[in-house]
Amino acid sequence: MKKTNRWGRGWLLSVGGLAWLAPALAIGQEFQKVSGPLREELPATPFVAAAYGFIWIALLAYVVWLARGVGRVRKDLAELRGRISEQADRGGPRP
Amino acid sequence: MRSVGIGFVAAATAAAVGFLIVPALILGAPLEPVMGFVQKIFYFHVPCATVLFLSTFVCAGGSIAYLFKGSEAGDRVAASAGELAVLFGLCTLVTGPLWGRKAWGVWWQWDARLTSALLLELIMIAYLLARRYGGPAGRKLSAALALFAAIDVPLVYKSVDIWRTVHPQTTVVPSLDPRMRPAFWSAFVLILLVWAVLFMVRLGLEGARAELASLRLEAEDMLETG
Repeated sequence: MKKTNRWGRGWLLSVGGLAWLAPALAIGQEFQKVSGPLREELPATPFVAAAYGFIWIALLAYVVWLARGVGRVRKDLAELRGRISEQADRGGPRP
Repeated sequence: MRSVGIGFVAAATAAAVGFLIVPALILGAPLEPVMGFVQKIFYFHVPCATVLFLSTFVCAGGSIAYLFKGSEAGDRVAASAGELAVLFGLCTLVTGPLWGRKAWGVWWQWDARLTSALLLELIMIAYLLARRYGGPAGRKLSAALALFAAIDVPLVYKSVDIWRTVHPQTTVVPSLDPRMRPAFWSAFVLILLVWAVLFMVRLGLEGARAELASLRLEAEDMLETG
Protein backbone atom coordinates (compact mmCIF):
# COMPACT_ATOMS: atom_id res chain seq x y z
CA MET A 1 0.00 0.00 0.00
CA LYS A 2 2.85 2.35 0.91
CA LYS A 3 4.58 1.52 -2.39
CA THR A 4 1.41 2.37 -4.40
CA ASN A 5 1.13 5.73 -2.60
CA ARG A 6 4.75 6.56 -3.47
CA TRP A 7 4.12 5.81 -7.15
CA GLY A 8 0.91 7.84 -7.09
CA ARG A 9 2.65 10.83 -5.60
CA GLY A 10 5.45 10.57 -8.16
CA TRP A 11 2.95 10.41 -10.99
CA LEU A 12 1.05 13.42 -9.69
CA LEU A 13 4.27 15.42 -9.30
CA SER A 14 5.34 14.61 -12.89
CA VAL A 15 1.98 15.59 -14.37
CA GLY A 16 1.91 18.76 -12.28
CA GLY A 17 5.47 19.66 -13.31
CA LEU A 18 4.68 19.15 -17.00
CA ALA A 19 1.54 21.24 -16.71
CA TRP A 20 3.58 23.98 -15.09
CA LEU A 21 6.27 23.80 -17.84
CA ALA A 22 3.81 23.52 -20.75
CA PRO A 23 3.52 27.26 -21.53
CA ALA A 24 7.30 27.60 -21.56
CA LEU A 25 7.66 24.60 -23.93
CA ALA A 26 4.94 25.96 -26.20
CA ILE A 27 6.76 29.30 -26.57
CA GLY A 28 9.74 27.50 -28.08
CA GLN A 29 7.57 25.77 -30.68
CA GLU A 30 5.18 28.50 -31.77
CA PHE A 31 5.59 31.54 -34.02
CA GLN A 32 5.46 34.70 -32.01
CA LYS A 33 3.75 37.87 -33.05
CA VAL A 34 6.04 40.86 -33.37
CA SER A 35 5.06 43.86 -31.35
CA GLY A 36 6.22 47.24 -32.69
CA PRO A 37 8.06 47.93 -35.97
CA LEU A 38 9.92 44.97 -37.54
CA ARG A 39 13.70 45.45 -37.36
CA GLU A 40 16.09 44.11 -40.02
CA GLU A 41 18.23 41.29 -38.61
CA LEU A 42 21.23 41.78 -40.91
CA PRO A 43 22.24 45.41 -41.47
CA ALA A 44 23.76 45.98 -44.94
CA THR A 45 26.39 48.55 -43.96
CA PRO A 46 28.98 46.11 -42.49
CA PHE A 47 28.81 43.97 -45.65
CA VAL A 48 29.27 46.94 -47.97
CA ALA A 49 32.07 48.35 -45.80
CA ALA A 50 33.82 44.96 -45.66
CA ALA A 51 33.60 44.55 -49.46
CA TYR A 52 35.04 47.99 -50.23
CA GLY A 53 37.59 47.72 -47.45
CA PHE A 54 38.81 44.38 -48.75
CA ILE A 55 39.27 45.69 -52.31
CA TRP A 56 41.25 48.72 -51.20
CA ILE A 57 43.38 46.80 -48.72
CA ALA A 58 44.13 44.10 -51.33
CA LEU A 59 45.14 46.72 -53.92
CA LEU A 60 47.22 48.63 -51.40
CA ALA A 61 48.98 45.45 -50.24
CA TYR A 62 49.74 44.54 -53.86
CA VAL A 63 51.16 48.03 -54.59
CA VAL A 64 53.39 47.80 -51.47
CA TRP A 65 54.56 44.29 -52.48
CA LEU A 66 55.26 45.55 -56.01
CA ALA A 67 57.18 48.59 -54.71
CA ARG A 68 59.35 46.36 -52.53
CA GLY A 69 60.04 44.05 -55.50
CA VAL A 70 61.01 46.97 -57.75
CA GLY A 71 63.25 48.41 -55.02
CA ARG A 72 65.02 45.08 -54.53
CA VAL A 73 65.61 44.54 -58.27
CA ARG A 74 66.83 48.13 -58.69
CA LYS A 75 69.35 47.65 -55.88
CA ASP A 76 70.57 44.32 -57.29
CA LEU A 77 70.92 45.80 -60.78
CA ALA A 78 72.96 48.76 -59.53
CA GLU A 79 75.17 46.46 -57.45
CA LEU A 80 75.78 44.08 -60.35
CA ARG A 81 76.49 46.88 -62.82
CA GLY A 82 79.01 48.32 -60.37
CA ARG A 83 80.73 44.95 -59.99
CA ILE A 84 80.87 44.41 -63.77
CA SER A 85 82.38 47.85 -64.42
CA GLU A 86 84.84 47.30 -61.56
CA GLN A 87 85.88 43.98 -63.10
CA ALA A 88 86.21 45.62 -66.51
CA ASP A 89 88.42 48.41 -65.03
CA ARG A 90 90.72 45.80 -63.51
CA GLY A 91 91.38 44.52 -67.02
CA GLY A 92 88.87 41.77 -67.36
CA PRO A 93 87.04 41.31 -70.64
CA ARG A 94 84.29 43.89 -71.24
CA PRO A 95 80.84 42.37 -71.69
CA MET B 1 62.99 51.54 -64.69
CA ARG B 2 62.05 55.24 -64.96
CA SER B 3 58.68 54.25 -66.45
CA VAL B 4 58.15 52.07 -63.36
CA GLY B 5 58.54 55.15 -61.13
CA ILE B 6 56.09 57.12 -63.25
CA GLY B 7 53.74 54.15 -63.11
CA PHE B 8 53.79 54.15 -59.33
CA VAL B 9 52.96 57.86 -59.22
CA ALA B 10 50.10 57.33 -61.70
CA ALA B 11 48.79 54.32 -59.71
CA ALA B 12 48.86 56.22 -56.45
CA THR B 13 47.15 59.25 -58.05
CA ALA B 14 44.45 57.13 -59.70
CA ALA B 15 43.79 55.21 -56.47
CA ALA B 16 43.63 58.40 -54.40
CA VAL B 17 41.30 60.19 -56.82
CA GLY B 18 39.17 57.09 -57.22
CA PHE B 19 39.02 56.54 -53.48
CA LEU B 20 37.62 60.04 -53.03
CA ILE B 21 35.29 60.47 -56.01
CA VAL B 22 33.87 57.05 -56.88
CA PRO B 23 32.49 56.12 -53.41
CA ALA B 24 30.72 59.50 -53.34
CA LEU B 25 29.10 58.73 -56.71
CA ILE B 26 28.13 55.25 -55.51
CA LEU B 27 26.58 56.59 -52.31
CA GLY B 28 24.70 59.17 -54.36
CA ALA B 29 23.25 56.55 -56.73
CA PRO B 30 19.63 55.50 -55.97
CA LEU B 31 18.96 52.45 -53.80
CA GLU B 32 17.84 49.23 -55.48
CA PRO B 33 14.25 48.51 -54.28
CA VAL B 34 14.64 44.75 -53.56
CA MET B 35 18.18 44.45 -52.18
CA GLY B 36 18.58 47.92 -50.73
CA PHE B 37 21.95 49.25 -49.60
CA VAL B 38 23.88 45.97 -50.03
CA GLN B 39 23.46 46.29 -53.83
CA LYS B 40 26.18 49.00 -53.67
CA ILE B 41 28.73 46.14 -53.70
CA PHE B 42 27.72 45.62 -57.35
CA TYR B 43 29.56 48.82 -58.42
CA PHE B 44 32.95 47.28 -57.64
CA HIS B 45 32.14 43.55 -57.83
CA VAL B 46 31.29 43.63 -61.55
CA PRO B 47 34.34 45.71 -62.64
CA CYS B 48 36.62 43.38 -60.62
CA ALA B 49 35.10 40.33 -62.37
CA THR B 50 35.48 42.01 -65.78
CA VAL B 51 39.13 42.77 -65.08
CA LEU B 52 39.61 39.16 -63.96
CA PHE B 53 38.37 38.06 -67.40
CA LEU B 54 40.58 40.63 -69.15
CA SER B 55 43.67 39.53 -67.18
CA THR B 56 42.98 35.89 -68.01
CA PHE B 57 42.69 36.65 -71.75
CA VAL B 58 45.90 38.74 -71.71
CA CYS B 59 47.64 35.94 -69.80
CA ALA B 60 46.44 33.38 -72.36
CA GLY B 61 47.53 35.62 -75.27
CA GLY B 62 51.04 35.97 -73.83
CA SER B 63 51.15 32.24 -73.12
CA ILE B 64 50.22 31.42 -76.74
CA ALA B 65 53.05 33.69 -77.95
CA TYR B 66 55.45 31.95 -75.57
CA LEU B 67 54.29 28.37 -76.31
CA PHE B 68 54.15 28.59 -80.10
CA LYS B 69 56.75 31.28 -80.91
CA GLY B 70 59.04 31.04 -77.87
CA SER B 71 58.45 34.76 -77.16
CA GLU B 72 60.09 35.82 -73.88
CA ALA B 73 58.15 39.10 -73.99
CA GLY B 74 54.93 37.09 -74.29
CA ASP B 75 55.93 35.10 -71.22
CA ARG B 76 56.55 38.29 -69.26
CA VAL B 77 53.13 39.67 -70.32
CA ALA B 78 51.50 36.38 -69.25
CA ALA B 79 53.24 36.36 -65.86
CA SER B 80 52.16 39.94 -65.13
CA ALA B 81 48.56 39.42 -66.22
CA GLY B 82 48.35 36.08 -64.38
CA GLU B 83 49.20 37.72 -61.08
CA LEU B 84 46.59 40.45 -61.63
CA ALA B 85 43.99 37.79 -62.52
CA VAL B 86 44.54 36.19 -59.11
CA LEU B 87 44.36 39.57 -57.34
CA PHE B 88 41.12 40.71 -59.00
CA GLY B 89 39.67 37.19 -58.84
CA LEU B 90 40.18 37.29 -55.09
CA CYS B 91 38.41 40.66 -54.92
CA THR B 92 35.49 39.20 -56.93
CA LEU B 93 35.24 36.05 -54.81
CA VAL B 94 35.34 37.97 -51.52
CA THR B 95 32.88 40.74 -52.43
CA GLY B 96 30.41 38.27 -54.02
CA PRO B 97 29.75 36.21 -50.86
CA LEU B 98 29.51 39.41 -48.78
CA TRP B 99 26.72 40.54 -51.09
CA GLY B 100 25.18 37.04 -51.20
CA ARG B 101 25.03 36.67 -47.42
CA LYS B 102 22.69 39.65 -47.20
CA ALA B 103 20.79 39.18 -50.47
CA TRP B 104 20.41 35.36 -50.51
CA GLY B 105 20.90 34.57 -46.82
CA VAL B 106 23.94 32.34 -47.47
CA TRP B 107 27.62 32.99 -48.01
CA TRP B 108 28.01 30.53 -50.85
CA GLN B 109 25.94 28.47 -53.31
CA TRP B 110 27.44 25.71 -55.43
CA ASP B 111 25.67 26.98 -58.53
CA ALA B 112 27.13 27.26 -62.05
CA ARG B 113 28.33 30.88 -61.85
CA LEU B 114 29.99 30.72 -58.45
CA THR B 115 31.55 27.31 -59.00
CA SER B 116 32.97 28.15 -62.46
CA ALA B 117 34.34 31.47 -61.13
CA LEU B 118 36.02 29.63 -58.23
CA LEU B 119 37.44 27.14 -60.73
CA LEU B 120 38.87 30.03 -62.79
CA GLU B 121 40.53 31.50 -59.72
CA LEU B 122 41.98 28.11 -58.76
CA ILE B 123 43.38 27.60 -62.28
CA MET B 124 45.05 31.02 -62.12
CA ILE B 125 46.51 30.23 -58.68
CA ALA B 126 47.78 26.94 -60.16
CA TYR B 127 49.28 29.01 -63.00
CA LEU B 128 51.32 31.08 -60.52
CA LEU B 129 52.33 28.03 -58.47
CA ALA B 130 53.47 26.15 -61.60
CA ARG B 131 55.57 29.17 -62.65
CA ARG B 132 57.12 29.49 -59.20
CA TYR B 133 57.72 25.86 -58.28
CA GLY B 134 57.40 23.96 -61.60
CA GLY B 135 61.15 23.74 -62.18
CA PRO B 136 62.59 23.96 -65.73
CA ALA B 137 59.26 22.99 -67.37
CA GLY B 138 57.26 25.31 -65.09
CA ARG B 139 56.81 28.11 -67.59
CA LYS B 140 55.47 25.81 -70.31
CA LEU B 141 53.21 23.99 -67.87
CA SER B 142 51.81 27.27 -66.58
CA ALA B 143 51.28 28.56 -70.16
CA ALA B 144 49.14 25.49 -70.86
CA LEU B 145 47.14 26.17 -67.69
CA ALA B 146 46.50 29.74 -68.87
CA LEU B 147 44.84 28.35 -72.01
CA PHE B 148 42.47 26.26 -69.87
CA ALA B 149 41.68 29.35 -67.81
CA ALA B 150 40.82 31.30 -70.98
CA ILE B 151 38.44 28.52 -72.03
CA ASP B 152 36.73 28.78 -68.63
CA VAL B 153 36.06 32.54 -69.03
CA PRO B 154 33.14 32.31 -71.55
CA LEU B 155 31.71 29.49 -69.44
CA VAL B 156 31.77 31.71 -66.32
CA TYR B 157 30.20 34.61 -68.21
CA LYS B 158 27.39 32.66 -69.92
CA SER B 159 26.71 30.27 -67.02
CA VAL B 160 23.96 32.54 -65.61
CA ASP B 161 22.12 32.48 -68.96
CA ILE B 162 22.57 28.74 -69.64
CA TRP B 163 21.74 27.31 -66.21
CA ARG B 164 19.32 28.39 -63.49
CA THR B 165 21.39 30.09 -60.82
CA VAL B 166 20.76 32.40 -57.89
CA HIS B 167 23.23 34.91 -59.39
CA PRO B 168 21.85 37.88 -61.42
CA GLN B 169 21.95 37.41 -65.21
CA THR B 170 24.18 39.19 -67.75
CA THR B 171 21.30 41.54 -68.62
CA VAL B 172 21.78 43.42 -65.34
CA VAL B 173 24.36 45.90 -66.69
CA PRO B 174 22.62 46.77 -70.02
CA SER B 175 19.29 47.24 -68.23
CA LEU B 176 20.74 49.33 -65.41
CA ASP B 177 18.69 52.33 -64.25
CA PRO B 178 20.07 55.48 -65.99
CA ARG B 179 20.60 57.12 -62.57
CA MET B 180 22.87 54.23 -61.52
CA ARG B 181 25.00 54.33 -64.68
CA PRO B 182 27.39 57.22 -63.79
CA ALA B 183 28.39 55.46 -60.55
CA PHE B 184 28.82 52.10 -62.29
CA TRP B 185 30.84 53.37 -65.26
CA SER B 186 33.07 55.60 -63.12
CA ALA B 187 33.88 52.61 -60.89
CA PHE B 188 34.45 50.52 -64.01
CA VAL B 189 36.87 53.06 -65.52
CA LEU B 190 38.68 53.42 -62.18
CA ILE B 191 39.24 49.68 -61.81
CA LEU B 192 40.30 49.43 -65.45
CA LEU B 193 42.76 52.31 -64.95
CA VAL B 194 44.17 50.78 -61.77
CA TRP B 195 44.53 47.47 -63.63
CA ALA B 196 46.33 49.12 -66.58
CA VAL B 197 48.78 50.93 -64.33
CA LEU B 198 49.45 47.89 -62.14
CA PHE B 199 49.96 45.81 -65.28
CA MET B 200 52.45 48.33 -66.67
CA VAL B 201 54.39 48.45 -63.40
CA ARG B 202 54.36 44.66 -63.04
CA LEU B 203 55.56 44.27 -66.65
CA GLY B 204 58.37 46.73 -65.95
CA LEU B 205 59.39 44.66 -62.93
CA GLU B 206 59.38 41.48 -65.01
CA GLY B 207 61.58 43.21 -67.61
CA ALA B 208 63.99 44.39 -64.91
CA ARG B 209 64.19 40.84 -63.50
CA ALA B 210 65.03 39.51 -66.99
CA GLU B 211 67.75 42.17 -67.33
CA LEU B 212 69.12 41.21 -63.92
CA ALA B 213 69.21 37.53 -64.90
CA SER B 214 71.10 38.26 -68.13
CA LEU B 215 73.56 40.56 -66.29
CA ARG B 216 74.21 37.79 -63.75
CA LEU B 217 75.06 35.44 -66.60
CA GLU B 218 77.44 38.03 -68.05
CA ALA B 219 79.07 38.52 -64.65
CA GLU B 220 79.56 34.77 -64.28
CA ASP B 221 81.11 34.61 -67.75
CA MET B 222 83.48 37.44 -66.84
CA LEU B 223 84.54 35.69 -63.67
CA GLU B 224 85.18 32.44 -65.54
CA THR B 225 87.16 34.07 -68.38
CA GLY B 226 88.80 36.73 -66.18
